[in-house]
Amino acid sequence: MNVKETSMLEIRNLHVTVDGKEILRGIDLDVRAGEVHAIMGPNGSGKSTLSYVLAGREGYEVTEGSVRFKGRDLLEMGVDERAAAGIFLAFQYPLEIPGVTTMTFLKTALNAQRKARGEGELDAVRFLKLVREKAKPLNVSDDMLKRALNVGYSGGEKKRAEVLQMSLLEPALAVLDETDSGLDIDALKTVADGVNALRSSDRAMVVITHYQRLLDYIVPDVVHVLSQGRIVKTGGKELAHELEKSGYAAYGADAA
Amino acid sequence: MTEKATQNFIETYERTQARLPGADSWLSRRRETAVKAFAEAGLPHRRLEEWKYTDLRQVLEKAAFAPAPAHEGAVILPDSRSAAAFAAIDRYTVVFVNGRYRADLSHTSRLPKGVELHPLVDVVHEQWARDLVERRLDDGRQAENVVDLNTALMNDGACLRIRKGVKLDKPLHLLFFTADAGASHTRNLILIENEAEATIFETHVGAEAGFANIVTDVSLAEGARLGHLKLQDEATGAVHLATMRTRLEASAHFTSFTLTLGCGVSRGQNFVLFAGEGAEAHVNGAYALRGTQHSDQFCVIDHAVPGCTSHTLFKGVLDDSSEGVFQGKVIVRPHAQKTDGRQMTQALLLSRNAAMNAKPELEIYADDVQCAHGSTVGELSRDAIFYLRSRGIPELQARQLLISAFLDEALDLVPHEMARNALKSLTDDWFAEARA
Repeated sequence: MNVKETSMLEIRNLHVTVDGKEILRGIDLDVRAGEVHAIMGPNGSGKSTLSYVLAGREGYEVTEGSVRFKGRDLLEMGVDERAAAGIFLAFQYPLEIPGVTTMTFLKTALNAQRKARGEGELDAVRFLKLVREKAKPLNVSDDMLKRALNVGYSGGEKKRAEVLQMSLLEPALAVLDETDSGLDIDALKTVADGVNALRSSDRAMVVITHYQRLLDYIVPDVVHVLSQGRIVKTGGKELAHELEKSGYAAYGADAA
Repeated sequence: MTEKATQNFIETYERTQARLPGADSWLSRRRETAVKAFAEAGLPHRRLEEWKYTDLRQVLEKAAFAPAPAHEGAVILPDSRSAAAFAAIDRYTVVFVNGRYRADLSHTSRLPKGVELHPLVDVVHEQWARDLVERRLDDGRQAENVVDLNTALMNDGACLRIRKGVKLDKPLHLLFFTADAGASHTRNLILIENEAEATIFETHVGAEAGFANIVTDVSLAEGARLGHLKLQDEATGAVHLATMRTRLEASAHFTSFTLTLGCGVSRGQNFVLFAGEGAEAHVNGAYALRGTQHSDQFCVIDHAVPGCTSHTLFKGVLDDSSEGVFQGKVIVRPHAQKTDGRQMTQALLLSRNAAMNAKPELEIYADDVQCAHGSTVGELSRDAIFYLRSRGIPELQARQLLISAFLDEALDLVPHEMARNALKSLTDDWFAEARA
């Protein structure tokens, strides 16, 4: 099988420095449509850096290597261009945006992406219907939608709002950065159900997590261990359980 | 030696006094006193604490405005978005061109009974007008010298008196249009009697460089209500100085909102005196400046009696090399217990060369009060922009969304819904224009 031809995301020898310090030191990763990859690793191993580089955050300097997404050079694309092309990053700490209601934000984002793809913008009625349909299974109330984005949301509400955005924007590749952090078990289940509902043969996911717990609910096809900026081991879902027992010490990192 | 700009105003007075409204009446004597006081003090300059950030003397020395000519004949009102901002609202309209009332352009028919609306010249012989002109607010002394200049030279203005219990059924829109360069001195007098109500919109537009020195004296009797909304979008060569002095009797209610988009130099002064208990004043505003624009908001809220509420919020966006100023003072006099006084100013700098000077002050002499003040100056959050862009929103649109959200917190305080939306679309356009 020729992996290169079918990969949605293709990362080759990726080196990234932040403030002059090398954080990613040669990442290779292939993610194909329909797959869910988990990237596990201790704090400081470079997990969040990888997610930000994919999303295009400034301050992350790629010194070597390449990233291709659906055959295009991802690193040449702007942040919003990547989003319109189908990349979605669910933030570990979603930002609070005072003064912009969640509803306005969702509509602006969806229509911006549709416009960038040459599709027509949705009118208010069709948009509202769509949002309600997507919000319901995630227990996102109309009241939440009317409030300023993430302002005063609980940890669980913020993560549900992220999944709602993902559900509405229907990305080809979703990167979930520590989506389990700060969630109790009920909130975790709601979020995981939302994510699982989005699994499909034409969508890929990269789930970044420190703990195995989330992977009980979002079961990955492939698990990678990231340590000191490199993928040091790759295996099936059982690798997550091994890590839960043995910790990250065996991979040359603190068991943080 | 008196500096040139001050001397010019004095000469204008000497030359025109016989033709100004109220010649040979109490007003000519009042003008005489005012011009003497003005000549003594001169134009305010930066060595005065209250004018530290806006050196009016220097600004007017440089600009050297001659008196604005009377603009006879046809006038084409500008087709700008600001001039038309309130066009969709059912309202009475009074138009001033170069500071002079134009009956032919105004629409004030079918005013309700008990509502009197006249140009200044028609009310100078009435006692209520005289009371308002001669009134001095204890807290307004820092404004007095520019008010003196206005008193000496005022030649027109809108004078509104609403009788006891009468409600003005539609907003009254005062449209000030600068058609020719020059200086004008406008005096508006507003008396709202017991339990009466009015909403007033003011728009200041023009493509010409002028100096507008506007004084609006307001008296709100017991239980009276006034909603005041002002939009200033004059040419960048223009200098705008507006002083509003409002006295509130018991249970009166005053809301004021100023949106500043235009002028090279502008200063809005708001003096509020609480003279009766249980009254409420909301003095708010927003501004969006670019280029080398300079805007100064100066507020003094004097709680002279107990149990009154004052809230002030000014928010501004400053781009390029523009400069914003907020100076605010809340005074709580010794017996003014149960005062609720809050004042906040926030500015967003869009450029490294923009500057904000903020000086909020509290002067509290009573002990059972709730007072707070604060000031923040910041820039757009890069993290917030990244977050919005990561959802597919292009950078310029993301910035615009955040800027609008910032200003909307202030604009949301405009009570009149249609007017509020009109102002919001102007501020939305402001950013779009800059990048067009």
